[in-house]
Amino acid sequence: MDFELTPDQRAVRDLVRAFAREEVAPHATEADRTGQFPQGLLARLAELDLFALPFPPEYGGLGGDTISYALAIEELAWADASLALTYAAHCSLGAGYLHLFGSPEQKARWLTPAARGEALIAFALTEPGGGSDAAHPQTRAERRDEGWLLNGSKVFITNGAHAAATVIMAATRPGGGKGGVSAFLVPAGTPGFTVGPQYEKLGLRSSDTAPLALEDVLVGPEALVGEEGRGYEQALAVLDGGRIGIAALAVGIGQAALDRALAYARERTAFGQPLSRFQAIRFKLADMTTELELARLAYLKAAWLKDQGRPFRKEAAMAKLFASEAATRAANAAIQIHGGLGYTRDGVVERYWRDARLMEIGEGTSEILRLVIAREVGAAGATPPPDPGAGLRAGPGP
Amino acid sequence: MHVVVCIKQILDPEIPPREFQVDPQTKRAVRGRASLVISPFDLNALEVAVQLKERAGGRVTVVSLGGEETPEALRRALAMGADEAVWIRDGALEATDASGTARCLAAAIAKLDEPDLVLFGRQAGDWDQGLVGPMVAEALGWPLVTNVFQTRGENSPLELLQQAEGGYRVVAATLPAAATITNHEANVARLPKVREIMLANRKPITQWSLGDLGLAADEVAPRVVVEALAVPVPEGHCTFIEGETAQEKAQNLARALRELKVI
Repeated sequence: MDFELTPDQRAVRDLVRAFAREEVAPHATEADRTGQFPQGLLARLAELDLFALPFPPEYGGLGGDTISYALAIEELAWADASLALTYAAHCSLGAGYLHLFGSPEQKARWLTPAARGEALIAFALTEPGGGSDAAHPQTRAERRDEGWLLNGSKVFITNGAHAAATVIMAATRPGGGKGGVSAFLVPAGTPGFTVGPQYEKLGLRSSDTAPLALEDVLVGPEALVGEEGRGYEQALAVLDGGRIGIAALAVGIGQAALDRALAYARERTAFGQPLSRFQAIRFKLADMTTELELARLAYLKAAWLKDQGRPFRKEAAMAKLFASEAATRAANAAIQIHGGLGYTRDGVVERYWRDARLMEIGEGTSEILRLVIAREVGAAGATPPPDPGAGLRAGPGP
Repeated sequence: MHVVVCIKQILDPEIPPREFQVDPQTKRAVRGRASLVISPFDLNALEVAVQLKERAGGRVTVVSLGGEETPEALRRALAMGADEAVWIRDGALEATDASGTARCLAAAIAKLDEPDLVLFGRQAGDWDQGLVGPMVAEALGWPLVTNVFQTRGENSPLELLQQAEGGYRVVAATLPAAATITNHEANVARLPKVREIMLANRKPITQWSLGDLGLAADEVAPRVVVEALAVPVPEGHCTFIEGETAQEKAQNLARALRELKVI
């Protein structure tokens, strides 16, 4: 057992920490207020090679490990969760899908600019109505002589409006269940493929979340990602990795809430002494510290398993479940410690609560994750286990 | 152009004051949970060196004398754009002071391949003495320009921009020369890119012992004895300024401040 980060991991964390504190944090409150997509900061992430970090050298990446990538997400989220989500959804889900399952041609065409930060790739799974059932998308892809004809709609798609291309999950064999789902890479601007207006969200307000519509979208045979009929299991694998990123993101938000709460408790006096002298406040700070450290260990372990090429579905689900709930509790406690100020925009900590809240919803709700974990430990017994894909979400959708 | 930058790894000076402690027995700062960083003015010196390399070509060698965590500082410098790193490492240097450090650095610089310019931070962020740069220049017999923030030109004489009252002074330095670097908006240390960090972590670091430098342990023995080391305790006093009228209070306040030599 070795809890020491490698020199690369430490250096990446320190670099992103310095960047996040110096260049990201000063603008986070303003970005939350305006909802302005962080184009300039994404350009800086590209300059610093952060988009290259998780992808292989053949496509312009750096072949960095999952631990480094997750640490980078935590540090970004500490400063601005919207920026962290934009980065994580691109790397883990959109570009991540191509990395795992794309053909060499698809990777050369899309993963290379994705790893340079020149093209965002989105991932579209969630649908309105019953479409959240990953095994039964209502979006259809019908075979044509020229390739495939796509029809349907997607909702709550992170980076939907800014993506250069989107991985669309669609049924190629309606009623085929898990074996009837396939993935298609659809470039922005393809005739019939339109992006709806941005959602007015509770938090993560400067991240891009939009609905997508596909009306007779004709794509060539090269648009199919991976094998036909394997989309469901591919999506689950992509989401497993994505959950490590969301867990790290949640820890970053929670840590920011803790740091603010601790600083405030030391500085603010009541009844003639600092808040931090009161046991009621100390207990809150102790619980926040403990839960966030355990959440961090959980995502690092899941990342380590993934880097070792070992199964990590259960660990990623546990990390995401625990970290997201711990982050919301930490942000909630930070508001309480700040009292009236915590309930105002000036107090800043309310943003952490609004941002953290999504972590319990996107990329698998807490409820779905509990089903995944229970299934992984065999709690489903001899009866058919609940479909772990049911309710899985792409991006931050509720 | 071969530029050498001498850097020092110190306890992060940004830690909260309440966490900074000294050990009165050993007369040293307690490490505690503080991380080790490159001394801030040394980062400015690295930035000046890398900018000079980008403009004039050549290479940058970074040199540091220190304990077991020194490679981390050297690798950070490599990631910022230094080409080679030298770690002066010897158990006998554990207790050395500015003069011993300067002797080692001068010997190391003399051993390097014909440096043209040696840069130092103007003072270290821990002891703030500002001794090592001048001492090394003296030992090498090179001209020294202090409080430089930028260079101009590509060859000898190199123009060194020196901070001066209300502006700056341009000093033409015949190379080889030494300079101490101060902070300025023109030399804010760049963030290295991830690619450069990874490459830096795979570059070799040259290690030299005192023997490699042709020095004996007694030559680097400390010459300064620290008698006592303590963290100052801030004291607050409160005085009420009396007076019948606002004018009288103001006059009394002005008098009190003048007596305290505040105004």
